[in-house]
Amino acid sequence: MNEAGGTIPAAAGIGLRFQHHRAVLEARPAVAWLEVHTENYMGAGAAIRTLEAIRRDYPVSLHGVGLSLGSADGLDAGHLERIRDVVRRIEPGLVSEHLSWSVVGGTYMADLLPLPMTEEALDVVCRHVDQSQAYLQRRILIENPSSYLLYAHSTISEWDFLSAVARRTGCGILCDVNNIYVSACNHGWDAAAYLAGLPAQAVGEIHLAGHTLKQIDSGQTLHIDDHGSRVAPEVWALYAQALARYGPVPTLVEWDTNVPPLDILLAEAAQAASLLDRMDADHVVAA
Amino acid sequence: MSSLRDLQHAVRRGLLQDGEGPAAAHILACGLAPRQRLSIYRNTMLGTLANALRLSFPAVHRLVGADFFEGAARIFARERPPRCADLNSYGAEFADFLQRFEPAATLAYLPDVARLDWAVHRALHAEDAIALDLSQLAAVAPSDQDRVCFVAHPSISTLRSRFPIDEIWRAVLHQDDAALAAIDLASGSACLMVERLSDDVEVARLEEHAWRLASALFGGLPLGAALDAAQSSVAPALLSDHLMAGRCISFHVTP
Repeated sequence: MNEAGGTIPAAAGIGLRFQHHRAVLEARPAVAWLEVHTENYMGAGAAIRTLEAIRRDYPVSLHGVGLSLGSADGLDAGHLERIRDVVRRIEPGLVSEHLSWSVVGGTYMADLLPLPMTEEALDVVCRHVDQSQAYLQRRILIENPSSYLLYAHSTISEWDFLSAVARRTGCGILCDVNNIYVSACNHGWDAAAYLAGLPAQAVGEIHLAGHTLKQIDSGQTLHIDDHGSRVAPEVWALYAQALARYGPVPTLVEWDTNVPPLDILLAEAAQAASLLDRMDADHVVAA
Repeated sequence: MSSLRDLQHAVRRGLLQDGEGPAAAHILACGLAPRQRLSIYRNTMLGTLANALRLSFPAVHRLVGADFFEGAARIFARERPPRCADLNSYGAEFADFLQRFEPAATLAYLPDVARLDWAVHRALHAEDAIALDLSQLAAVAPSDQDRVCFVAHPSISTLRSRFPIDEIWRAVLHQDDAALAAIDLASGSACLMVERLSDDVEVARLEEHAWRLASALFGGLPLGAALDAAQSSVAPALLSDHLMAGRCISFHVTP
Protein backbone atom coordinates (compact mmCIF):
# COMPACT_ATOMS: atom_id res chain seq x y z
CA MET A 1 0.00 0.00 0.00
CA ASN A 2 0.94 3.62 -0.30
CA GLU A 3 3.23 3.41 -3.29
CA ALA A 4 1.09 6.31 -4.47
CA GLY A 5 1.25 9.03 -1.82
CA GLY A 6 -1.97 9.20 0.11
CA THR A 7 -2.59 12.94 0.02
CA ILE A 8 -5.37 14.16 -2.27
CA PRO A 9 -3.82 16.93 -4.39
CA ALA A 10 -5.51 20.22 -5.31
CA ALA A 11 -6.23 18.73 -8.72
CA ALA A 12 -9.11 17.07 -10.55
CA GLY A 13 -10.23 13.54 -9.75
CA ILE A 14 -13.11 11.29 -10.76
CA GLY A 15 -15.63 9.21 -8.87
CA LEU A 16 -14.73 5.54 -9.47
CA ARG A 17 -17.65 3.16 -9.97
CA PHE A 18 -17.63 -0.62 -10.48
CA GLN A 19 -18.12 -0.23 -14.26
CA HIS A 20 -14.64 1.30 -14.51
CA HIS A 21 -12.65 -0.92 -12.14
CA ARG A 22 -11.19 -2.96 -14.94
CA ALA A 23 -10.52 0.01 -17.24
CA VAL A 24 -8.68 1.87 -14.47
CA LEU A 25 -6.63 -1.19 -13.50
CA GLU A 26 -5.67 -1.95 -17.09
CA ALA A 27 -5.25 1.51 -18.61
CA ARG A 28 -4.02 3.45 -15.55
CA PRO A 29 -5.53 6.69 -16.87
CA ALA A 30 -3.80 9.96 -16.06
CA VAL A 31 -6.11 11.30 -13.37
CA ALA A 32 -4.84 12.90 -10.17
CA TRP A 33 -7.00 10.95 -7.72
CA LEU A 34 -10.09 8.79 -7.30
CA GLU A 35 -13.03 8.81 -4.95
CA VAL A 36 -15.32 5.89 -4.13
CA HIS A 37 -18.44 5.35 -2.06
CA THR A 38 -17.26 3.79 1.19
CA GLU A 39 -20.34 1.57 1.44
CA ASN A 40 -19.49 -0.21 -1.83
CA TYR A 41 -16.32 -1.65 -0.30
CA MET A 42 -17.61 -2.90 3.04
CA GLY A 43 -17.15 -6.56 3.88
CA ALA A 44 -14.70 -8.82 2.14
CA GLY A 45 -14.43 -10.17 -1.37
CA ALA A 46 -13.26 -8.94 -4.72
CA ALA A 47 -14.42 -5.29 -4.53
CA ILE A 48 -12.16 -4.19 -1.69
CA ARG A 49 -9.24 -6.20 -3.07
CA THR A 50 -9.64 -4.44 -6.42
CA LEU A 51 -9.71 -1.08 -4.65
CA GLU A 52 -6.52 -2.00 -2.78
CA ALA A 53 -4.86 -2.73 -6.12
CA ILE A 54 -6.05 0.59 -7.56
CA ARG A 55 -4.93 2.38 -4.41
CA ARG A 56 -1.33 1.33 -5.10
CA ASP A 57 -1.35 3.73 -8.06
CA TYR A 58 -3.73 6.50 -7.02
CA PRO A 59 -4.58 8.57 -3.97
CA VAL A 60 -8.11 7.59 -2.94
CA SER A 61 -10.83 9.48 -1.10
CA LEU A 62 -13.62 7.63 0.76
CA HIS A 63 -17.03 9.25 0.42
CA GLY A 64 -19.73 7.80 2.66
CA VAL A 65 -23.48 7.88 2.11
CA GLY A 66 -24.76 5.80 5.03
CA LEU A 67 -23.48 7.19 8.33
CA SER A 68 -26.54 9.39 8.88
CA LEU A 69 -24.86 12.15 10.90
CA GLY A 70 -28.23 13.84 11.44
CA SER A 71 -30.07 10.92 13.07
CA ALA A 72 -31.75 11.88 16.33
CA ASP A 73 -31.45 8.20 17.35
CA GLY A 74 -27.64 8.40 17.41
CA LEU A 75 -24.97 6.92 15.18
CA ASP A 76 -24.97 3.26 14.20
CA ALA A 77 -21.78 2.05 15.91
CA GLY A 78 -21.64 -0.95 13.58
CA HIS A 79 -21.60 1.31 10.54
CA LEU A 80 -18.89 3.51 11.99
CA GLU A 81 -16.85 0.36 12.59
CA ARG A 82 -17.34 -0.76 8.97
CA ILE A 83 -16.13 2.65 7.78
CA ARG A 84 -13.08 2.34 10.00
CA ASP A 85 -12.29 -1.08 8.54
CA VAL A 86 -12.34 0.33 5.00
CA VAL A 87 -10.23 3.31 6.15
CA ARG A 88 -7.64 0.95 7.62
CA ARG A 89 -7.36 -1.08 4.44
CA ILE A 90 -7.34 1.80 1.95
CA GLU A 91 -5.50 4.55 3.87
CA PRO A 92 -7.51 7.28 2.12
CA GLY A 93 -6.37 10.88 1.69
CA LEU A 94 -9.82 12.20 2.61
CA VAL A 95 -12.89 10.80 4.34
CA SER A 96 -16.22 12.54 3.85
CA GLU A 97 -19.93 12.26 4.68
CA HIS A 98 -23.10 14.32 4.24
CA LEU A 99 -25.11 16.92 6.10
CA SER A 100 -28.24 14.76 6.13
CA TRP A 101 -29.93 11.82 7.79
CA SER A 102 -30.93 8.35 6.57
CA VAL A 103 -31.66 6.22 9.64
CA VAL A 104 -34.62 6.33 12.02
CA GLY A 105 -36.06 3.64 14.26
CA GLY A 106 -33.49 1.16 12.96
CA THR A 107 -34.56 1.61 9.31
CA TYR A 108 -32.06 2.76 6.69
CA MET A 109 -33.97 5.02 4.27
CA ALA A 110 -31.31 4.77 1.50
CA ASP A 111 -31.32 8.47 0.62
CA LEU A 112 -29.70 11.65 1.92
CA LEU A 113 -32.72 13.15 3.65
CA PRO A 114 -32.78 16.83 4.57
CA LEU A 115 -32.45 18.05 8.13
CA PRO A 116 -34.42 20.90 9.62
CA MET A 117 -31.98 23.77 10.08
CA THR A 118 -32.51 24.14 13.83
CA GLU A 119 -30.31 24.46 16.93
CA GLU A 120 -31.45 20.97 17.96
CA ALA A 121 -30.32 19.44 14.66
CA LEU A 122 -27.07 21.43 14.82
CA ASP A 123 -26.30 19.94 18.24
CA VAL A 124 -27.07 16.42 16.96
CA VAL A 125 -24.85 16.78 13.88
CA CYS A 126 -21.96 18.32 15.85
CA ARG A 127 -22.13 15.54 18.44
CA HIS A 128 -21.99 12.91 15.72
CA VAL A 129 -19.18 14.60 13.79
CA ASP A 130 -17.18 14.80 17.04
CA GLN A 131 -17.91 11.13 17.71
CA SER A 132 -16.93 10.08 14.17
CA GLN A 133 -13.72 12.08 14.12
CA ALA A 134 -12.71 10.69 17.53
CA TYR A 135 -13.46 7.12 16.46
CA LEU A 136 -11.78 7.36 13.06
CA GLN A 137 -8.95 9.43 14.57
CA ARG A 138 -9.01 11.87 11.68
CA ARG A 139 -10.72 14.97 10.38
CA ILE A 140 -13.68 14.34 8.10
CA LEU A 141 -15.33 16.56 5.49
CA ILE A 142 -19.06 17.22 5.47
CA GLU A 143 -20.91 17.78 2.20
CA ASN A 144 -23.89 20.04 1.58
CA PRO A 145 -26.74 17.95 0.11
CA SER A 146 -29.08 18.88 -2.72
CA SER A 147 -32.63 19.21 -1.45
CA TYR A 148 -36.21 19.25 -2.64
CA LEU A 149 -37.97 20.42 0.48
CA LEU A 150 -37.58 22.88 3.35
CA TYR A 151 -39.03 22.54 6.83
CA ALA A 152 -41.29 25.25 8.17
CA HIS A 153 -39.50 25.43 11.53
CA SER A 154 -35.96 25.91 10.20
CA THR A 155 -34.28 28.98 11.68
CA ILE A 156 -30.75 28.82 10.24
CA SER A 157 -29.56 29.06 6.64
CA GLU A 158 -27.90 25.90 5.33
CA TRP A 159 -24.56 27.68 4.80
CA ASP A 160 -24.59 29.09 8.35
CA PHE A 161 -25.48 25.62 9.67
CA LEU A 162 -22.61 23.98 7.76
CA SER A 163 -20.20 26.74 8.81
CA ALA A 164 -21.20 26.25 12.45
CA VAL A 165 -20.58 22.49 12.20
CA ALA A 166 -17.10 23.17 10.80
CA ARG A 167 -16.37 25.79 13.46
CA ARG A 168 -17.60 23.70 16.39
CA THR A 169 -16.13 20.32 15.39
CA GLY A 170 -13.08 21.29 13.34
CA CYS A 171 -14.35 19.21 10.43
CA GLY A 172 -13.80 20.34 6.86
CA ILE A 173 -16.43 21.20 4.27
CA LEU A 174 -16.96 19.31 1.04
CA CYS A 175 -18.54 22.00 -1.08
CA ASP A 176 -20.73 20.39 -3.73
CA VAL A 177 -21.16 23.19 -6.26
CA ASN A 178 -23.81 21.28 -8.22
CA ASN A 179 -25.81 20.71 -5.03
CA ILE A 180 -25.65 24.41 -4.21
CA TYR A 181 -26.88 25.21 -7.71
CA VAL A 182 -29.68 22.61 -7.54
CA SER A 183 -30.86 23.67 -4.08
CA ALA A 184 -30.59 27.36 -4.95
CA CYS A 185 -32.81 26.81 -8.02
CA ASN A 186 -35.30 24.71 -6.06
CA HIS A 187 -35.59 27.07 -3.10
CA GLY A 188 -34.86 30.46 -4.63
CA TRP A 189 -31.56 30.87 -2.79
CA ASP A 190 -28.70 33.04 -4.00
CA ALA A 191 -25.94 30.56 -4.93
CA ALA A 192 -23.25 33.25 -4.72
CA ALA A 193 -24.36 34.15 -1.20
CA TYR A 194 -24.15 30.45 -0.28
CA LEU A 195 -20.55 30.27 -1.55
CA ALA A 196 -19.69 33.50 0.26
CA GLY A 197 -21.28 32.16 3.46
CA LEU A 198 -18.89 29.22 3.82
CA PRO A 199 -15.54 29.72 5.58
CA ALA A 200 -12.92 29.44 2.79
CA GLN A 201 -10.27 27.87 5.00
CA ALA A 202 -12.59 24.96 5.90
CA VAL A 203 -13.36 23.96 2.29
CA GLY A 204 -11.24 20.87 1.66
CA GLU A 205 -12.87 19.47 -1.46
CA ILE A 206 -15.29 20.44 -4.22
CA HIS A 207 -17.76 18.16 -6.00
CA LEU A 208 -19.10 18.66 -9.52
CA ALA A 209 -21.83 16.59 -11.20
CA GLY A 210 -24.67 16.76 -13.65
CA HIS A 211 -28.32 17.30 -12.76
CA THR A 212 -31.61 17.10 -14.59
CA LEU A 213 -34.83 19.09 -14.80
CA LYS A 214 -38.09 17.47 -13.82
CA GLN A 215 -41.42 18.87 -14.86
CA ILE A 216 -43.96 18.48 -12.06
CA ASP A 217 -47.70 18.09 -12.77
CA SER A 218 -48.36 21.53 -11.33
CA GLY A 219 -46.22 23.08 -14.09
CA GLN A 220 -43.31 23.70 -11.73
CA THR A 221 -39.80 22.66 -12.66
CA LEU A 222 -37.56 21.02 -10.12
CA HIS A 223 -33.82 20.53 -10.45
CA ILE A 224 -32.91 16.92 -9.59
CA ASP A 225 -29.38 15.99 -8.59
CA ASP A 226 -29.10 12.68 -10.44
CA HIS A 227 -25.36 12.62 -11.31
CA GLY A 228 -26.38 11.35 -14.74
CA SER A 229 -24.98 13.84 -17.24
CA ARG A 230 -22.18 16.33 -17.92
CA VAL A 231 -21.69 19.25 -15.55
CA ALA A 232 -24.05 22.08 -16.58
CA PRO A 233 -22.60 25.40 -17.87
CA GLU A 234 -24.16 27.27 -14.91
CA VAL A 235 -22.39 24.89 -12.52
CA TRP A 236 -19.04 25.39 -14.28
CA ALA A 237 -19.55 29.15 -13.83
CA LEU A 238 -20.33 28.67 -10.15
CA TYR A 239 -17.25 26.43 -9.83
CA ALA A 240 -15.07 29.25 -11.19
CA GLN A 241 -16.54 31.52 -8.52
CA ALA A 242 -15.86 28.89 -5.86
CA LEU A 243 -12.22 28.58 -6.93
CA ALA A 244 -11.83 32.35 -6.90
CA ARG A 245 -13.16 32.38 -3.36
CA TYR A 246 -11.56 29.23 -1.88
CA GLY A 247 -8.37 28.94 -3.93
CA PRO A 248 -7.31 25.69 -5.62
CA VAL A 249 -9.13 22.81 -3.90
CA PRO A 250 -9.21 19.06 -4.77
CA THR A 251 -12.11 18.76 -7.21
CA LEU A 252 -14.11 15.66 -8.05
CA VAL A 253 -16.40 14.89 -10.98
CA GLU A 254 -19.17 12.44 -9.97
CA TRP A 255 -21.32 10.40 -12.33
CA ASP A 256 -23.65 7.73 -10.87
CA THR A 257 -26.57 7.06 -13.21
CA ASN A 258 -26.11 6.14 -16.88
CA VAL A 259 -22.38 5.99 -16.15
CA PRO A 260 -20.57 6.91 -19.40
CA PRO A 261 -17.32 5.47 -20.80
CA LEU A 262 -14.28 6.40 -18.75
CA ASP A 263 -13.05 8.82 -21.45
CA ILE A 264 -16.05 11.10 -20.97
CA LEU A 265 -15.48 11.24 -17.22
CA LEU A 266 -11.81 11.99 -17.79
CA ALA A 267 -12.76 14.79 -20.20
CA GLU A 268 -14.97 16.35 -17.53
CA ALA A 269 -12.11 16.10 -15.04
CA ALA A 270 -9.79 17.72 -17.62
CA GLN A 271 -12.18 20.66 -17.85
CA ALA A 272 -12.05 21.08 -14.07
CA ALA A 273 -8.26 20.75 -14.24
CA SER A 274 -8.05 23.56 -16.78
CA LEU A 275 -9.95 25.87 -14.43
CA LEU A 276 -7.71 24.81 -11.55
CA ASP A 277 -4.60 25.45 -13.68
CA ARG A 278 -5.82 28.89 -14.67
CA MET A 279 -6.32 29.52 -10.97
CA ASP A 280 -2.72 28.57 -10.24
CA ALA A 281 -1.50 30.82 -13.07
CA ASP A 282 -3.55 33.73 -11.71
CA HIS A 283 -2.08 33.15 -8.26
CA VAL A 284 1.44 33.29 -9.68
CA VAL A 285 0.63 36.50 -11.55
CA ALA A 286 -0.95 37.98 -8.44
CA ALA A 287 2.12 37.07 -6.40
CA MET B 1 -43.00 22.11 16.34
CA SER B 2 -41.84 18.53 16.61
CA SER B 3 -38.55 17.29 17.96
CA LEU B 4 -36.01 16.02 15.45
CA ARG B 5 -36.81 12.42 16.37
CA ASP B 6 -40.56 12.91 15.90
CA LEU B 7 -39.96 14.63 12.58
CA GLN B 8 -37.73 11.79 11.36
CA HIS B 9 -40.32 9.19 12.32
CA ALA B 10 -42.97 11.22 10.50
CA VAL B 11 -40.82 11.47 7.36
CA ARG B 12 -40.18 7.72 7.52
CA ARG B 13 -43.93 7.12 7.55
CA GLY B 14 -44.41 9.56 4.70
CA LEU B 15 -41.80 7.79 2.57
CA LEU B 16 -42.78 4.18 3.25
CA GLN B 17 -46.52 4.79 2.96
CA ASP B 18 -48.39 6.43 0.14
CA GLY B 19 -50.03 9.29 1.96
CA GLU B 20 -47.94 12.23 3.13
CA GLY B 21 -48.83 11.57 6.78
CA PRO B 22 -47.93 13.95 9.58
CA ALA B 23 -44.65 15.00 7.93
CA ALA B 24 -46.50 17.29 5.51
CA ALA B 25 -47.41 19.73 8.25
CA HIS B 26 -43.70 20.51 8.73
CA ILE B 27 -42.80 20.94 5.07
CA LEU B 28 -43.10 24.25 3.21
CA ALA B 29 -45.23 24.01 0.09
CA CYS B 30 -43.86 26.98 -1.92
CA GLY B 31 -45.59 26.07 -5.15
CA LEU B 32 -45.24 22.31 -4.79
CA ALA B 33 -47.27 20.13 -2.44
CA PRO B 34 -45.35 18.46 0.40
CA ARG B 35 -46.68 15.15 -0.93
CA GLN B 36 -44.92 15.76 -4.24
CA ARG B 37 -41.72 16.86 -2.51
CA LEU B 38 -41.69 13.66 -0.41
CA SER B 39 -42.35 11.56 -3.50
CA ILE B 40 -39.02 12.72 -4.99
CA TYR B 41 -37.20 11.27 -1.98
CA ARG B 42 -39.36 8.14 -2.02
CA ASN B 43 -38.51 7.59 -5.65
CA THR B 44 -34.77 7.92 -5.03
CA MET B 45 -34.92 5.64 -2.00
CA LEU B 46 -36.89 2.90 -3.75
CA GLY B 47 -34.74 3.22 -6.88
CA THR B 48 -31.56 2.81 -4.84
CA LEU B 49 -32.93 -0.24 -3.03
CA ALA B 50 -34.27 -1.84 -6.22
CA ASN B 51 -30.86 -1.34 -7.79
CA ALA B 52 -29.13 -2.95 -4.81
CA LEU B 53 -31.48 -5.94 -5.12
CA ARG B 54 -30.89 -6.14 -8.88
CA LEU B 55 -27.15 -6.48 -8.23
CA SER B 56 -27.69 -9.20 -5.62
CA PHE B 57 -30.34 -11.14 -7.58
CA PRO B 58 -29.10 -11.08 -11.19
CA ALA B 59 -30.72 -14.37 -12.22
CA VAL B 60 -34.12 -13.39 -10.84
CA HIS B 61 -33.77 -10.06 -12.66
CA ARG B 62 -33.11 -11.78 -15.98
CA LEU B 63 -35.88 -14.34 -15.46
CA VAL B 64 -38.67 -11.86 -14.78
CA GLY B 65 -37.40 -8.89 -16.81
CA ALA B 66 -36.42 -5.39 -15.72
CA ASP B 67 -39.91 -3.91 -15.29
CA PHE B 68 -41.35 -6.78 -13.28
CA PHE B 69 -38.23 -6.91 -11.12
CA GLU B 70 -38.30 -3.17 -10.46
CA GLY B 71 -41.96 -3.35 -9.46
CA ALA B 72 -41.49 -6.33 -7.15
CA ALA B 73 -38.33 -4.86 -5.62
CA ARG B 74 -40.07 -1.56 -4.84
CA ILE B 75 -42.97 -3.33 -3.12
CA PHE B 76 -40.49 -5.42 -1.12
CA ALA B 77 -38.43 -2.33 -0.22
CA ARG B 78 -41.48 -0.61 1.26
CA GLU B 79 -42.52 -3.71 3.19
CA ARG B 80 -39.02 -4.63 4.34
CA PRO B 81 -36.73 -1.59 4.21
CA PRO B 82 -33.09 -2.27 5.16
CA ARG B 83 -31.96 -2.27 8.76
CA CYS B 84 -28.41 -1.36 7.86
CA ALA B 85 -26.66 1.10 5.52
CA ASP B 86 -24.42 -1.60 4.08
CA LEU B 87 -26.68 -2.57 1.19
CA ASN B 88 -24.58 -5.65 0.41
CA SER B 89 -26.38 -7.21 3.34
CA TYR B 90 -29.84 -6.21 2.06
CA GLY B 91 -32.14 -8.80 0.57
CA ALA B 92 -32.00 -11.83 2.88
CA GLU B 93 -35.83 -11.86 2.95
CA PHE B 94 -36.37 -11.25 -0.78
CA ALA B 95 -36.72 -14.94 -1.70
CA ASP B 96 -39.41 -15.45 0.96
CA PHE B 97 -41.15 -12.33 -0.31
CA LEU B 98 -41.17 -13.72 -3.86
CA GLN B 99 -42.66 -16.94 -2.53
CA ARG B 100 -45.76 -15.09 -1.34
CA PHE B 101 -45.76 -12.49 -4.16
CA GLU B 102 -48.96 -13.29 -6.05
CA PRO B 103 -47.92 -11.94 -9.49
CA ALA B 104 -44.92 -14.32 -9.50
CA ALA B 105 -46.94 -17.38 -8.45
CA THR B 106 -46.75 -19.00 -11.89
CA LEU B 107 -42.95 -19.18 -11.66
CA ALA B 108 -42.82 -21.83 -8.94
CA TYR B 109 -39.02 -22.11 -9.14
CA LEU B 110 -38.42 -18.35 -8.80
CA PRO B 111 -38.04 -18.25 -4.98
CA ASP B 112 -35.44 -21.02 -5.11
CA VAL B 113 -33.52 -19.26 -7.90
CA ALA B 114 -33.56 -16.20 -5.61
CA ARG B 115 -32.15 -18.34 -2.79
CA LEU B 116 -29.34 -19.44 -5.09
CA ASP B 117 -28.67 -15.84 -6.18
CA TRP B 118 -28.48 -14.87 -2.50
CA ALA B 119 -26.13 -17.75 -1.63
CA VAL B 120 -23.80 -16.70 -4.47
CA HIS B 121 -23.99 -13.04 -3.39
CA ARG B 122 -23.16 -13.99 0.19
CA ALA B 123 -20.26 -16.11 -0.97
CA LEU B 124 -18.91 -13.22 -3.06
CA HIS B 125 -18.82 -10.93 -0.04
CA ALA B 126 -17.85 -13.49 2.60
CA GLU B 127 -14.76 -12.86 4.67
CA ASP B 128 -11.56 -14.50 3.52
CA ALA B 129 -10.50 -17.35 5.82
CA ILE B 130 -7.53 -19.63 6.20
CA ALA B 131 -8.15 -23.36 5.93
CA LEU B 132 -7.78 -25.53 9.00
CA ASP B 133 -4.29 -26.90 9.59
CA LEU B 134 -5.18 -30.59 9.42
CA SER B 135 -2.30 -31.61 11.69
CA GLN B 136 -4.35 -30.15 14.54
CA LEU B 137 -6.83 -33.00 14.12
CA ALA B 138 -4.15 -35.47 15.16
CA ALA B 139 -4.48 -34.19 18.71
CA VAL B 140 -8.13 -35.30 18.94
CA ALA B 141 -8.47 -38.53 20.91
CA PRO B 142 -10.19 -41.32 18.93
CA SER B 143 -12.95 -41.43 21.55
CA ASP B 144 -13.68 -37.71 20.93
CA GLN B 145 -13.80 -37.88 17.14
CA ASP B 146 -17.58 -38.24 16.88
CA ARG B 147 -17.97 -35.02 18.85
CA VAL B 148 -15.79 -32.83 16.62
CA CYS B 149 -17.75 -29.87 15.20
CA PHE B 150 -16.21 -28.09 12.24
CA VAL B 151 -16.61 -24.41 11.35
CA ALA B 152 -17.14 -24.03 7.61
CA HIS B 153 -15.43 -21.46 5.43
CA PRO B 154 -17.72 -18.39 5.64
CA SER B 155 -18.50 -18.50 1.91
CA ILE B 156 -20.01 -21.99 2.03
CA SER B 157 -23.70 -22.71 2.01
CA THR B 158 -25.84 -25.65 0.94
CA LEU B 159 -29.33 -25.50 -0.51
CA ARG B 160 -31.70 -27.80 -2.31
CA SER B 161 -34.68 -27.31 -4.54
CA ARG B 162 -37.23 -29.56 -6.18
CA PHE B 163 -36.35 -27.73 -9.41
CA PRO B 164 -33.06 -27.76 -11.38
CA ILE B 165 -32.32 -24.21 -10.22
CA ASP B 166 -28.59 -24.47 -10.95
CA GLU B 167 -29.35 -25.17 -14.62
CA ILE B 168 -31.85 -22.30 -14.73
CA TRP B 169 -29.39 -19.97 -12.96
CA ARG B 170 -26.57 -20.77 -15.40
CA ALA B 171 -28.75 -20.53 -18.48
CA VAL B 172 -30.20 -17.12 -17.60
CA LEU B 173 -26.86 -15.64 -16.53
CA HIS B 174 -25.25 -16.84 -19.77
CA GLN B 175 -28.33 -15.63 -21.67
CA ASP B 176 -28.50 -19.07 -23.23
CA ASP B 177 -32.10 -19.29 -24.40
CA ALA B 178 -31.63 -22.71 -25.97
CA ALA B 179 -30.32 -24.17 -22.72
CA LEU B 180 -33.13 -22.52 -20.80
CA ALA B 181 -35.75 -23.95 -23.16
CA ALA B 182 -34.22 -27.43 -22.84
CA ILE B 183 -34.51 -27.54 -19.05
CA ASP B 184 -36.92 -30.15 -17.74
CA LEU B 185 -38.50 -28.71 -14.60
CA ALA B 186 -39.57 -32.19 -13.56
CA SER B 187 -36.04 -33.62 -13.76
CA GLY B 188 -35.78 -33.95 -10.00
CA SER B 189 -34.34 -32.06 -7.10
CA ALA B 190 -31.07 -30.16 -7.14
CA CYS B 191 -28.74 -30.55 -4.14
CA LEU B 192 -26.28 -27.67 -4.25
CA MET B 193 -23.20 -26.40 -2.48
CA VAL B 194 -22.02 -22.80 -3.02
CA GLU B 195 -18.52 -21.68 -2.09
CA ARG B 196 -15.78 -19.14 -2.81
CA LEU B 197 -12.52 -20.63 -1.67
CA SER B 198 -10.38 -18.35 -3.86
CA ASP B 199 -11.74 -15.53 -6.05
CA ASP B 200 -14.54 -17.25 -7.94
CA VAL B 201 -17.84 -18.49 -6.61
CA GLU B 202 -18.68 -22.06 -7.52
CA VAL B 203 -22.10 -23.65 -7.58
CA ALA B 204 -21.69 -27.43 -7.40
CA ARG B 205 -24.40 -30.05 -7.68
CA LEU B 206 -23.94 -32.92 -5.22
CA GLU B 207 -25.36 -36.40 -4.94
CA GLU B 208 -28.12 -36.71 -2.36
CA HIS B 209 -25.92 -38.47 0.24
CA ALA B 210 -23.02 -36.08 -0.31
CA TRP B 211 -25.36 -33.12 0.10
CA ARG B 212 -26.69 -34.53 3.40
CA LEU B 213 -23.14 -34.86 4.68
CA ALA B 214 -22.15 -31.35 3.54
CA SER B 215 -25.28 -29.77 5.03
CA ALA B 216 -24.75 -31.49 8.35
CA LEU B 217 -21.00 -30.90 8.46
CA PHE B 218 -21.10 -27.23 7.40
CA GLY B 219 -24.21 -26.68 9.50
CA GLY B 220 -22.09 -27.41 12.57
CA LEU B 221 -23.36 -30.86 13.49
CA PRO B 222 -20.91 -33.12 15.36
CA LEU B 223 -18.92 -35.37 13.06
CA GLY B 224 -20.61 -38.59 14.21
CA ALA B 225 -24.07 -37.22 13.48
CA ALA B 226 -22.91 -35.74 10.17
CA LEU B 227 -21.51 -39.05 8.96
CA ASP B 228 -24.71 -40.81 10.07
CA ALA B 229 -26.79 -38.24 8.17
CA ALA B 230 -25.01 -39.16 4.94
CA GLN B 231 -26.10 -42.81 5.25
CA SER B 232 -23.32 -43.75 2.87
CA SER B 233 -20.20 -45.85 2.97
CA VAL B 234 -18.29 -43.17 1.08
CA ALA B 235 -18.98 -40.50 3.72
CA PRO B 236 -15.48 -40.74 5.29
CA ALA B 237 -13.90 -40.25 1.86
CA LEU B 238 -16.14 -37.23 1.21
CA LEU B 239 -15.18 -35.78 4.59
CA SER B 240 -11.56 -36.15 3.67
CA ASP B 241 -12.18 -34.31 0.38
CA HIS B 242 -13.82 -31.39 2.21
CA LEU B 243 -10.94 -31.13 4.66
CA MET B 244 -8.31 -31.32 1.93
CA ALA B 245 -10.13 -28.66 -0.12
CA GLY B 246 -9.96 -26.26 2.82
CA ARG B 247 -13.71 -26.05 3.40
CA CYS B 248 -13.27 -26.17 7.18
CA ILE B 249 -11.42 -23.41 8.99
CA SER B 250 -11.53 -24.55 12.62
CA PHE B 251 -13.12 -27.10 14.92
CA HIS B 252 -14.00 -27.74 18.54
CA VAL B 253 -14.98 -30.83 20.49
CA THR B 254 -18.45 -30.69 22.03
CA PRO B 255 -18.71 -31.81 25.62
